[in-house]
Amino acid sequence: MNIALFLQNILNGLSIGAVYSIFALGYTLVFSILGIINFAHGAVFTLGAYCTYALAVGDFGLNGLLAGLSMPFRLPFPLALLGGSLIAGITGVLVERLAFRPLRAKGADALLALVSSLGVALIIVNLLQMLVGAEIYSFPSDIFGSLPMAMIVKVGGKVLAVRTVQIIILAVSMVLLVLLAWFMNRTRMGKALQATAENPETASLLGINVDRYIVSTFFISGVLGGLAGTLIGASFGLAGPYFGVSYGLKGLAVIVLGGLGSIPGAVLGGVVIGLGEAFLPPDYSSLKEAVAFIMLFFILLARPQGLLGRQTIQKV
Amino acid sequence: MSAFFDQYGFLMVAIVQQALLGMSLWYPLMAGQLSLASIGFYSLGGYIAAIMGTNPWFAPWREALGPAIYPLQWLIALIVSALIGLAVGIPALRLRGIYLALATIAFVQVLNVLVLITDVTGGAVGLFGIPQPFVSRLGYIWFFGPLLVLALIFSARLTRTVAGRSFMAIRDDELAAQAMGISTTFEKVRAFVIGCALAGVTGAMSAPFLNTWNARQSSFDASVACLAYVLIGGARSIWGPLLGAALLVALPEVLRPLKDARLIMNGVVLVVACIYLPQGLAGLLASLRRPGKEAGHA
Repeated sequence: MNIALFLQNILNGLSIGAVYSIFALGYTLVFSILGIINFAHGAVFTLGAYCTYALAVGDFGLNGLLAGLSMPFRLPFPLALLGGSLIAGITGVLVERLAFRPLRAKGADALLALVSSLGVALIIVNLLQMLVGAEIYSFPSDIFGSLPMAMIVKVGGKVLAVRTVQIIILAVSMVLLVLLAWFMNRTRMGKALQATAENPETASLLGINVDRYIVSTFFISGVLGGLAGTLIGASFGLAGPYFGVSYGLKGLAVIVLGGLGSIPGAVLGGVVIGLGEAFLPPDYSSLKEAVAFIMLFFILLARPQGLLGRQTIQKV
Repeated sequence: MSAFFDQYGFLMVAIVQQALLGMSLWYPLMAGQLSLASIGFYSLGGYIAAIMGTNPWFAPWREALGPAIYPLQWLIALIVSALIGLAVGIPALRLRGIYLALATIAFVQVLNVLVLITDVTGGAVGLFGIPQPFVSRLGYIWFFGPLLVLALIFSARLTRTVAGRSFMAIRDDELAAQAMGISTTFEKVRAFVIGCALAGVTGAMSAPFLNTWNARQSSFDASVACLAYVLIGGARSIWGPLLGAALLVALPEVLRPLKDARLIMNGVVLVVACIYLPQGLAGLLASLRRPGKEAGHA
């Protein structure tokens, strides 16, 4: 392997891995606080991507109820990204209201919350399909204004292609991770969130409004999901309302690899799986979609608490 | 009457077939373990039957055995599914909680990728023209019907045996069950493997029924549907998977006038049922029969 190819793989792996990380953080935040996996997260991811598309591009295709419609305004990409992510965050809160809160109020089985979140996912995905159809949408090449699509860098006589969207993904992820680390460790609200995750009952005895923090967690999780959806959409296009399903499943592999409920684990898991996919030899490229799940399986065999997870001891 | 069967024959067989898939998740759930593997073993069993039914390599077998090839397909699907179920179940079931669900999701995804790149499975196109033993779709009730009856009898007996009671003890409190001397990993694997074998046989029966087999048989949506049958029907009653499948398979037919909004309604039904029918339809029926009593203990 020459140095240019190596660097290219590192770049591709890190940028896709960063998106996996952001997406998986959304899962892991909800898991750390409720101990439940929110299966609607993949649908929120898709919804965020479509909302950003609507705000930034605003032309709809030939199928669905919105066929042929154009939005009256276009936002520049950074604002559209923000808007799409906020809508995804609000959807996250709605998911909590619809699928999680009524069950929590009744003290129902955790399995039911899993199915009801899948039900909400079905609603979101099929609503999208009804509105914009199943066709493929892609962001136009001038979405980042006057920035070029890619830069060509020569390394040791070989060519290295750095796509603008990759740089944007890496920059957004870095900013986001720093913000999240600051929020969780330095703000009152973040500390309260951590306390709630540690033990909801004790937290509520200490005067923390647990329900409010659960709602905030779903909001943050939704924002992260929507952001990840947009970044994937900007990189590879929006391949129909079902395109979030496979990322949703891959996200599960990421959080198990990193350790369920561990925030640094989700970041590490995303990067490991992204690099794993990028460094897959070309002869085995048809196996790319299986890499994350094969890794998941081996981690279950070897280190079930994940790379950075804590081993929990069950007490009676 | 015959017009009724012409129109709804397929639907009725489909309900029984889907109920069997629900049933295959019911066993691990009886031991408190959430699995999403059924659709993978269903796909695997279907490929075994489809390959044995269409691949030229098996032509002498088909000629020699005649219709007896079908039971042979079921047997092979059963053995292969049980062995792979063992391989997937042992590592995943040593752990508590959500790990089995995640491991089974991973298993189905890996299987789907392998199916797409393997020649013998027909790749992305799949396998066509699988021989059909019956002329009408309704005929397949002779495949699925007896299997469902057997599964129901087996389940009813299971709730009265040591194995079944161990499953339920694990569901109610795993640590207490372990303290009582139940080998929890062994019992969880046993419950899981029973389900895998049933799903494999159902798949082997379904390949002729559907006439064609491809990777779309094991989509994540189909996986979720299997789980929904059990939970909406009632995970604590042996009738749960059948009731759930009857409701959810018939629902799209009833909702046909809604066109595209019908899939949205499916989601609404899942959410509403989870909130208002925590014991499923079986629990609802039981509480109607005995008002005032807490419903649904198997």
